[in-house]
Amino acid sequence: MIAEEIQRRMTEVLRDVLDNEAITLTRETTADDIEEWDSLAHISIIVAIENEFGIKFDLVDIKPLKNIGEFIDLIKRKTS
Amino acid sequence: MTFNSISYFIFLPAVFLVFHITADRYRWLALLISSYIFYGFLLKPSLLIVLAFVTIFSYYMGNRIDTAGNKENRKKLLFFSVAGNLAVLVYFKYLAFLVENLNILVGFLAPGAAIPEPAPLVSIALSFFIFQAISYLSDIYFGITKPEVHPGHFALYISFFPKLLQGPIERAESLLPQLRKPYEFHYTEIRSGLLLFVWGLFLKVVVADRLALFVDPVYNNVEAYTGIPLIIATYAYAFQIYFDFAGYTNMALGGAKLFGLNLTQNFRSPYLATSCADFWRRWHISFSRWILDYIFQPLQMKWRNLGKNGTALALFVTFLLSGLWHGASWTFIIWGLLHGVFLAASTYYKPYKKQLHKKLGIDNSRWLTIWQVIVTFHLVSFTYIFFRASSIEDAGHIIANILNIYSNYTEIKTIGISEFITKNILIGNRKIVAITLLLILSIILVVYKHRDESLFTKPVWFRWACYYSLFIIIVVLQISTKTDFIYLQF
Repeated sequence: MIAEEIQRRMTEVLRDVLDNEAITLTRETTADDIEEWDSLAHISIIVAIENEFGIKFDLVDIKPLKNIGEFIDLIKRKTS
Repeated sequence: MTFNSISYFIFLPAVFLVFHITADRYRWLALLISSYIFYGFLLKPSLLIVLAFVTIFSYYMGNRIDTAGNKENRKKLLFFSVAGNLAVLVYFKYLAFLVENLNILVGFLAPGAAIPEPAPLVSIALSFFIFQAISYLSDIYFGITKPEVHPGHFALYISFFPKLLQGPIERAESLLPQLRKPYEFHYTEIRSGLLLFVWGLFLKVVVADRLALFVDPVYNNVEAYTGIPLIIATYAYAFQIYFDFAGYTNMALGGAKLFGLNLTQNFRSPYLATSCADFWRRWHISFSRWILDYIFQPLQMKWRNLGKNGTALALFVTFLLSGLWHGASWTFIIWGLLHGVFLAASTYYKPYKKQLHKKLGIDNSRWLTIWQVIVTFHLVSFTYIFFRASSIEDAGHIIANILNIYSNYTEIKTIGISEFITKNILIGNRKIVAITLLLILSIILVVYKHRDESLFTKPVWFRWACYYSLFIIIVVLQISTKTDFIYLQF
């Protein structure tokens, strides 16, 4: 799957889970840049992304992620 | 030596002077020795051994986890190192409570038999530095941070005196890089650090301790009151605990700034929160992030197949443990449970709430926000009844009688309004006018951000007038009975 496609689908998932249509993502976006994306919402987002792409994450996979770019790369690895 | 004691007012400048004249490569050592002196002089010098043990054990285990290689070994080592740290915490903080409650069970199963109860141990600061050690070890396991190479920097990261007793609970990736950097003297940083320190002192000794004058007589003798005095004391406590803890945090942050170190801000106008989840984003932030990252998220991940039920259960368990962290007593456990119930419930009704607001066309209304702030504040204040009450029975009495205004009405009819006010509201302390004024002031302060750097852009005469006013207010209006910070007991 190409990175643009992953990014587009991730944006949809985030808009849906956080109930904010204004969310836009770049590779440099971090959770801190999105107000609603906090420790409470974090795993709900992860699980929604798991369901969207039909993959499973481990906490060890997602904890070190620094930004959306690294997240996209992880999804790419998991889906290939 | 607590922050509001004379000895600390001598200690802090003395450490600053020593720090300043020490060569940069040994400055960590000056701060480390000072931190151990600070802790050693507090209450129980023997706790220094516990501090040193946690430091050495966590330093060693951090390196072991990092070099363990495969995933299984890393996991085992993390489990062992967290269990080791928790064992220390349980031994010092919860053993007496555990045995006491076990004895109820033992008494039920075998009447007459009992496990000898150990004397409660002093555990001051322990839960804060142990939580920090656990976050360090977990972050290494998760690959968020690398283990610290310099044992001195690591020891200072655990024990740095401005944050040792009551936090903020600092993350490795936030504080350790700062400790590695060479110190640079910045006049403006020192100045804003000092102002923050004095401001924190003002919040503690003038505002929080004054509110306590009103809370303590009622909460220490709840049976004597119904209705209005219970309501006022509960509101007053909500503000007392905020100003007490925010005051402490400002003193911690201000003190750290003298050494060029920036600690985490713990509060963001918590009583302006629009929901309980929002409250925990603004209240004791370093702690709430800790419990969410290291307890809630792993649990939610584990129970993700259960969907919303899994999330609700994870929140419930997390906040139950948060209550237990605050103290080995049932009142704290119920306080934590209530927050757990509020948050767990919100996972179910939140989507419907949003839909309803949209349908009614009030989703962007200012009035809705005001309403939500009021409701959240009252829910949080309700939980404080358990947090502050001396026992479950006391909390039960308050809840049963807090809305009994009718009894106040009949009392006023019998003894007259002025006698009623003297007996139930002044309660032998004539500082009520000042208290009321400060209560209003407090609310204004919560609403408007107080740490306004713009003060430093004002003319010299204005700035110094402010400094002197603050100083005079602290000296004249401080409450002379010496009280510890509330969070020191946790």
